[in-house]
Amino acid sequence: MAKINNSGQRILRKKEKQVRYLQANSRELNSTFGYPNNTIKTSRYSVFNFLPLNLFEQFQRLANAYFLILLFLQLIPQISPLAWYTTVIPLMVVLSITAVKDAIDDVKRHQNDNHVNNRSVLVVMNGRIKEDKWMNIQVGDIIKLKNNQPVTADVLLLSSSEPYGLTYIETAELDGETNLKVKQSISVTSNLEDNLGLLSAFDGKVRCESPNNKLDKFTGILTFKGKNYTLDHDKLLLRGCIIRNTDWCYGLVIYTGPDTKLMQNCGKSTFKRTHMDHLLNVLVLWIFLFLGGMCFILAIGHGIWENKKGYYFQDFLPWEEYVSSSVVSAILTFWSYFIILNTMVPISLYVSVEIIRLGNSCYINWDRKMYYAPKNTPAQARTTTLNEELGQVKYVFSDKTGTLTQNIMIFNKCSINGIIYGCGYDKNGQKVKVSEETEKVDFSYNKLADPKFSFYDNTLVEAMKKGDHWVHLFFLSLSLCHTVMSEEKVEGKLVYQAQSPDEGALVTAARNFGFVFRSRTSETIMVVEMGETKVYQLLAILDFSNVRKRMSVIVRTPEDRVMLFCKGADTILCQLLHPSCRSLREVTMEHLDDFAFEGLRTLMVAYREVDNAFYQAWSKKHSEACLSLENREDKMSDVYGEMEKDLMLLGATAIEDKLQDGVPETITILNKAKIKIWVLTGDKQETAVNIAYACNIFEEEMDGIFIMEGKNDETVRQELRLARNKMKPESLLESDPVNTYLNTKPQMPFRIPEEVPNGNYGLIINGYSLAYALEGNLELELLRTVCMCKGVICCRMTPLQKAQVVELMKRYKQVVTLAIGDGANDVSMIKAAHIGVGITGQEGMQAMLNSDYAISQFRYLQRLLLVHGRWSYNRMCKFLSYFFYKNFAFTLMHFWYAFFSGFSAQTVYDTWFITFYNLVYTSLPVLSLSLFDQDVNETWSLRFPELYDPGQHNLYFNKKEFVKCLVRGIYSSFVLFFIPMRTIHNSMDSDGKEISDYQSFSLIVQTALLCVVTVQIALDTTYWTLISHIFTWGSLGFYFCILFLLYSDGLCLMFPNVFQFLGVARNTLNLPQMWLIIILSVVLCILPVIGYRFLKPLFWPADVDKIMNRIHLWTRHPLLPPTQTKLRHTRPRRSAYAFSHKQGFGALITSGKTMKDKQAVLAAHHPKGAGQGPQKAGLRPKPRGSGRRKALRVTRGTHRSEQLGRWASTAGPEDRTNAPSGGAAGGKARSDHRLRGCRGARTLPTRPERRGAPACPSCSTTPGGRETRPPAPQPPPAPSPPARSSPTVSSDCPCGDTPQLTRAQLYRCIHISFAGPERAQRPSSQPRDRGGGFRTASPSQAVGALCPFGPWFRSWYLPESG
Amino acid sequence: MTAKMKRTSEESQSRLPDNSALKQQQLPAYRLQLTATGVLSGFFATGVFCLGVGIILILSAKSIKEIEIKYTKICGNCAKLREDATNFDKECTCSIPFYLSETMQGNVYMYYKLYGFYQNLYRYILSRSNSQLLGTDLKDVGTCAPFSKSHDGTPIAPCGAIANSIFNDTIILSYNLNSSISIEVPMLRSGITWWTDKYVKFQNPRSKNLSIAFAGTTKPPSWVKSVYELDKEDPENNGFLNDDFIVWMRAAAFPTFKKLYRRLNRIQYFTEGLPAGNYSFNITYNFPVTRFRGEKSVVLSTLTWSGGSNLFLGLAYTVTGAVTWLASFSMMAIHLMLKDRKMFFIQQ
Repeated sequence: MAKINNSGQRILRKKEKQVRYLQANSRELNSTFGYPNNTIKTSRYSVFNFLPLNLFEQFQRLANAYFLILLFLQLIPQISPLAWYTTVIPLMVVLSITAVKDAIDDVKRHQNDNHVNNRSVLVVMNGRIKEDKWMNIQVGDIIKLKNNQPVTADVLLLSSSEPYGLTYIETAELDGETNLKVKQSISVTSNLEDNLGLLSAFDGKVRCESPNNKLDKFTGILTFKGKNYTLDHDKLLLRGCIIRNTDWCYGLVIYTGPDTKLMQNCGKSTFKRTHMDHLLNVLVLWIFLFLGGMCFILAIGHGIWENKKGYYFQDFLPWEEYVSSSVVSAILTFWSYFIILNTMVPISLYVSVEIIRLGNSCYINWDRKMYYAPKNTPAQARTTTLNEELGQVKYVFSDKTGTLTQNIMIFNKCSINGIIYGCGYDKNGQKVKVSEETEKVDFSYNKLADPKFSFYDNTLVEAMKKGDHWVHLFFLSLSLCHTVMSEEKVEGKLVYQAQSPDEGALVTAARNFGFVFRSRTSETIMVVEMGETKVYQLLAILDFSNVRKRMSVIVRTPEDRVMLFCKGADTILCQLLHPSCRSLREVTMEHLDDFAFEGLRTLMVAYREVDNAFYQAWSKKHSEACLSLENREDKMSDVYGEMEKDLMLLGATAIEDKLQDGVPETITILNKAKIKIWVLTGDKQETAVNIAYACNIFEEEMDGIFIMEGKNDETVRQELRLARNKMKPESLLESDPVNTYLNTKPQMPFRIPEEVPNGNYGLIINGYSLAYALEGNLELELLRTVCMCKGVICCRMTPLQKAQVVELMKRYKQVVTLAIGDGANDVSMIKAAHIGVGITGQEGMQAMLNSDYAISQFRYLQRLLLVHGRWSYNRMCKFLSYFFYKNFAFTLMHFWYAFFSGFSAQTVYDTWFITFYNLVYTSLPVLSLSLFDQDVNETWSLRFPELYDPGQHNLYFNKKEFVKCLVRGIYSSFVLFFIPMRTIHNSMDSDGKEISDYQSFSLIVQTALLCVVTVQIALDTTYWTLISHIFTWGSLGFYFCILFLLYSDGLCLMFPNVFQFLGVARNTLNLPQMWLIIILSVVLCILPVIGYRFLKPLFWPADVDKIMNRIHLWTRHPLLPPTQTKLRHTRPRRSAYAFSHKQGFGALITSGKTMKDKQAVLAAHHPKGAGQGPQKAGLRPKPRGSGRRKALRVTRGTHRSEQLGRWASTAGPEDRTNAPSGGAAGGKARSDHRLRGCRGARTLPTRPERRGAPACPSCSTTPGGRETRPPAPQPPPAPSPPARSSPTVSSDCPCGDTPQLTRAQLYRCIHISFAGPERAQRPSSQPRDRGGGFRTASPSQAVGALCPFGPWFRSWYLPESG
Repeated sequence: MTAKMKRTSEESQSRLPDNSALKQQQLPAYRLQLTATGVLSGFFATGVFCLGVGIILILSAKSIKEIEIKYTKICGNCAKLREDATNFDKECTCSIPFYLSETMQGNVYMYYKLYGFYQNLYRYILSRSNSQLLGTDLKDVGTCAPFSKSHDGTPIAPCGAIANSIFNDTIILSYNLNSSISIEVPMLRSGITWWTDKYVKFQNPRSKNLSIAFAGTTKPPSWVKSVYELDKEDPENNGFLNDDFIVWMRAAAFPTFKKLYRRLNRIQYFTEGLPAGNYSFNITYNFPVTRFRGEKSVVLSTLTWSGGSNLFLGLAYTVTGAVTWLASFSMMAIHLMLKDRKMFFIQQ
C-alpha cells in the first residue's frame, strides 16, 4: 500500500513513527493521550457559527466579495452616483437565499450524524454491561457486540460466543465484498469469554500504529500480565463491518470516530465545484478586467472633458471644493463608473444558478422513470450544485458488484444426465421467455423450501417427484458438496451463510428441490431428502482453491457407502471423468456451451463411489500428507488427485450472476454518447472481465484487448508502451505533438489532449500493476494508453486506488468524471470524482451518503445523464449566454451615454430600474427558460445519444460563446442607445413639447431594452409551456405596472427625492416615437441573431445539427419510424471461474472450530455420528486425551490462527494455498520463489497472478512456430494425475491441429489446454488470454484464422514472447 | 438486516413521485422551431413593414416647416458683454430679422435651443430639491449643492444648479406687416409644460402672497429677480409654477437640446399659422454661452403626428427594411444552394 503513491508514502512514514498507546478499561490513562471520542461529524455549521461562517464562505465567491466592496464604495458620497439600495437589496436577497439553502442542507447532515452517533451499544463498565451511545465510546473501552450489529469503532476482538474466539463479519460496507470473513481473537483474551468480571479487570496495554487508512494492515502489541502478544489485522473488527453468525463478541476499542479506518478511508469531504463554476470565476475575472478598462477609458475621457469643457462650465456647475484639478475629478470618476458599471457582473448570477440547479435537482427527485418500485426508492439528487455537469460526463468509473450486477446468484438451469432443465418450454415446445408473469414452479411439497427461490421449469420437479435416480443424486451432491453453514433459529426456517453467493445459490436450489441441507457438524451433514432426514458422515473435504478449481467431499452414506461428490470447473472436471461417461460428457458439454452463451456461470458435478478399502488407504495417505512438513501443498494435491479421478458425470449447473436490469443496454447507449466506461472493482480479473463482456463494455469485435500485469516498473512501462504502439504507433515517436508538448511544458497543471486510436481497444489492468503505473513517472504513460481504450477494467483495486485512478484522470484531463458504486469501498472514488453516484443497494448506505446523486439501478444512469444531465447542461448554457448578454446590453448603455454626459457618471436609467432589472424584470423569464426548456424531448435524447456530445466538449457555453455574448451585448446596447438618442433629438410630442429630456429618454431606453431582452429570450425558448408564457410576457407586463407605480403621483409626492420620475410614464408612453423606437430596436437586435442561427447550420453543420434536422423531420412527418437500437447478442463465453472468491471453509469445517457444542444435539439425532468420531482420527490427528489435547491445542491453535488469519484476510488466495504453513524450509523456499518480484504483496490485497510468460505451455508456441511439446493427445481414459511435468490434453482438444473448429470445441480446447496441470505452477484464472495456447506454424496467421480473439490476442501475445 | 426489512415494510407508503406534468417535465408546450420558411417569410414581412413605416415617416417629417436661427454670433457684442459676470445688470438687446418664404401652417412653436450645454451632468441633474419644489418645505435644500444656501446661510429657493442656470433670454417675435409697421406676434406662454409638472410636481407654498411665502429664502445667485417676480404680467405664472422655470427644470438628456419657449396664439393675422413675410426676433440677451463655447438658437417649427423635423427614424426604418429584404433574398439563395447538402446529411 505504501507503494501506492509517493506523497501518501511520505505521510505514512511520518505517521508510522507515531505510536498509539492505550490500556483497556482505563479511561483516565487513555484520556491523557487526547484521542477523539467516537462522534462522527459531517456537518459544517453549528447554530452559533452559522452566520459568520456562512457569510465568510459566501463572500469567498468572487462576485459576492465584489458586491461587498461595491457596497463600501457606494457609501463614499463623493464617488457614488448610485443610491446605496441598488446594491444592498440584491445582495441581501442573494445572500439570504443561499444561506437558507445551506442551512437546510446542514440540518440534514446534522440529522444523519445524530442518528449514527446516538445508536446504542453495550459497554462493559465495572463488571456490568451498560448501554451507551456510540458517540460516548472512548478508546480503551470494552464493548459487547451482538449478531447483526454494526461494529461501533475499530475494536480489538477479545472473545466471542464461538469457540476459539472466532467471529464472523461481513465487510460489505468497507470493501464491498459480501462474503463472510472470520476474525479470531488471540487465545489469551478468548479465554475471558463473557465473564464480565474478568473482562472489566482486563488491563491489557496495547501499543499499535497510529490511525491510517489501510484496511488490511494493523500491527500492534498487546501486553497482558507481563507477556507480549503480537496483534495483526485479523484481530481487528473495523467500524462499518457487521457481525454475522456470532451471538456476541467483546472487543477493546482501539480507534474511534475520525480515527477509524472507515473514516480514514472516506477522505476529506470536499466541496465540489463544477467546471461551469470555474469557468464563471474566470469569466467574472475577465469582466473585471473589461470593466476596469472601460472605467479607465471613461476616467480619461472625464479628465479631458473637465479640462476642455467642465472647467468653463463652472458658472453653472462649480467643481467641488476637493476637486482641485481635472485629474482628481478623473480619479473620482473612475470609481464612480466602477460602481455604475457593476451590473456587468450580474449579482443575481449565482443565486439564479443556484435556483436553476435546485429546480433541475428536483426534477431528478421527481422522476417517476427513475423510481425503483421493488425498493420503493426514487432517485435522489443529494447535492444541488452539480446538475449541468451531468450533461458533460466523459468518463464513468463503475464498481462491479452491486452496481453492474445485482450480486445475486441464481440457480438458473441445470443439465442432469444429459437432459437440460430450466429452459421453460410451453405446450408447443417453444421456449418461454421468463418474465414477471411466467408461472413459477410450485415448491409447496417441500416445507423447507426457500420461498424466494423461483424456477420456471416444471419438468425438473416432475422428475424429482418421480424419483429419477440421477436427479436425486445430482441434488444430493449439491446438498453435500459445499462449505455452506446453516442457521435454523426458527424451526423450518433455514438461513444459509455461504462464503460465496454462487455456492449459496446451489445449496438453496438443492434445498428447494427437496434435498435440504439442514445442519452440519465437523463430522456429519444432515440432509432432509424429500422429507426424510438422513445423516451423512463427512469423511473429508477436498477443498476448493483457485488452482484446483474444484472441491470434493467424501461422505459415508447412511447405507455405509463411501461416496465422493465433486463439483468444479468443467474444464478441469472433464479430464477427471471416467471414460464410460464420454458420451454423456459430449452432451453435457453442448449444454455447457448453451449456458455459456447466455452468460451463465457453470459448474460440473460428478461423483464417484469409492470402495472402503481404497478409501482407508487413501485416508492414510491423506493424513500423512496433512502432517508432512515439507512440500505439504504438493503432497496434498497429489493425494487429492488420487481420489478425484474416474469420476462419474452427473451434470452441470448454470448460475446466473444477475446483471442488473438493462445494464448492457445502458452501457451501449452511454457508449454511443461517447462516454467511456471503466470498471474499477476489487473483484477478480476473471469475474470482472466476464461481466465486462456481459454488459458490453468489452465487445467481441474489439480490435484488441491489452492486459497489464507487470510486476515492476519496467514491465508495466513496456506493456503500456506496447499497447500504445498497437493503438497509435505514432504516439511513441518524438515528433508526436503530445510528446513535444509534454517535453516543452513540464509544469503543472497541464492537460493532455485527446488522442485518437486506430480502433476499438480494451484494457485490463490489475491493482497490483496499477500501483506501479500510478507512480509518478509512469502515470502519464498509463493515462495516455488507457484513455485511448474504449473500455477499461481495473480489477483487484483497493478503495484508495479507485480514487487515485479518478484523481489521475481529473488531474491531467479536462473532462468530467463520474464514479458510480454502491459499497463503502467506492466511497473514496465517489468523493474523488466530479460526480459521485451512489447505488442505493444492499451493501449499506455509505456510498449513498457520500454520493451526489443516488439512484437505485445502474440503468437509471442513462436517464440521469442523457435526459436530466443534458437538459440541465443545455438549460444552464442557455441561461448563462442569455444572462451575460442581457447584462452587457444593460450596462454598456452607460458607457455610450458617458460620451454625451461629460463622462460624469450619469446613469442612463432610473435607479429603480437598475435595482429591479436583474432581480424582478428579467429574472422570471430566464428562470422559466432554464427550468422548463427542452430542445428535444426525452425520447429523442435517449434515441440519439449523440446529442450528448456538445456537453462533453462544453460547446454551448465556453469562452468563445461568452465573447459572442459580449459582442452581441455591445451591439444591442449600441442599437438601444443610439436609436432612441437620434430619434428624440429634435423631436417633439403632439403638443410641441420637447421629448428629449433626461427622464423621458431613460424611460424610452429602458423600455426598449426590456422589450429586446424579452423578445430575445422568447427566441431562445424552444419549449413554450403555459408557465413560460406567463413568466415571459407577464414580466414585461409587470414592468409596465411597476412603472406606473414607481412613477405615480402618490409615491413620488411621498418621497419626492427618491422617486423623481413623476408623470414620465404617462407622458412618454403615448409617444408614437417611443413605440417606433422599440419596434426598430427589436428588429435590429433580433433579426441578426435569427439570421445567424439560420445560416450557421448551413455553413458549419455540426453533428448535432444534423441529428436535430432528422428529429425535426421526423416530428413533422411522423410516418418515418425511428429504428430501434438492437442489442447485439454476445458470443458465448464459458465462465471458467468456479464458485468462490476465496479458498473454501473446508479446513475450518473439518477442524470443528465453527461447531458449537452441537455434538450433543446431534448425538440425539444420530447417535452413530458421535460414535464414529474415532474413525476419523486417521484423517485428522485429533488427540482425545484431555491433557494431551490441551498441550496440542496450544501449538495447533497458533498454527491454525495463522492459517485462518491468512485465509480470512483479503490477501491473495493462491499465496495462501501455497504459502508454507509450518516453518519447513522447502515450503519457505518455494514461497520465496513464488513471491519473488512481488513487491507489493505485503501491502496490496491483490492476488499476485503470475502471467509473465504464456501460461499454457501445453499448447504454447514460440514465434518461430515450432511446437514445444509433442501434440500426441493422451487418451481420455487415463485422466492424468496432476503431475507437474506431464502436460495433458484430452483427445477432443484439437489444439491447433484442425482448423475447422466449432466454437464450442474451440472453447473446450482453450479451457482444457490452459487447465493443464502446468497451471498449478503458473496459475491464471483468465481464460480469454489463453488463446496463446494454440500451437501454430505461423502464429499470427493461424491465430487469426483460428482464434476468435483475433488481433488482440496477437497484441498481447507476440511482443511478450518476442 | 431483519430489523431493517421490518422497518421498510412498515414504511408502506410509496415514495413514488407524483405523476404531475410539471414534475415529470411533460407540461404541454408549443415547440418553437426556426423553419426555413418561417424565418424567410418573417424576414420578408419585416422588410416590407420597415420599408413602409420608413417611407411614411420620411414623408411626414418632410412636411414640417422649420426655421432655426443661431444668434450667439449675430448678437456677438451682447455675448461678449455676458462673458463678464460683473455686467449682469446691464441690459443687452439684439434684433434678428429674417424672411419667411412660405407660410408655416397650423400650430407654430417657438423653441430656444442650446448647444453644448450639459444639463445631463450627474451633479447638475442631482442638484435640485424636489421636495422644495413641491412647496411643502422651502428649507429642504438636501441635494442642491453647490447652490443650496447663500453665503449667509439662507436657503436658496429654488435651490440647486439647475434652477440657478435658468435660461433667461427674452425672445419676442415681430411680424413686419410692411416696412414700417411691425407687430408683435401673439404668443402663448402657457401649455408648454407637462400637465403633471405644472399641477403635481411643482407647487408654490400655500400662501396668498408669494413674496411672504418665500420669505426666509433667497434667490439663486445668478438670478436677477426673485422666483415670485418672474412674470409680472401674469401673477399666476410666478414662483415654482412659472412655465419657463418648469420647462427648464426638466433637464435635457443631451448637451444639445431645445426647449419649448412659446407657442403661437392663432389670432388675428395668425389664425392659419405664420404667414410668409419678414419677421424679426427681438432678443434680450442674458444667458451667457460663449464662456463654455456653447451656442444658442431660436427655432420656429410646425408639427406633425410623428414629432418634429427629425428624419432619423424614417431613414433608419427605410434602411433597416431594405437591408432586411436584401438579407432575406440572400438567405433564401444560400438556403436553396445548401439545401441539398442538408438533405444529404439528414438522409445519412
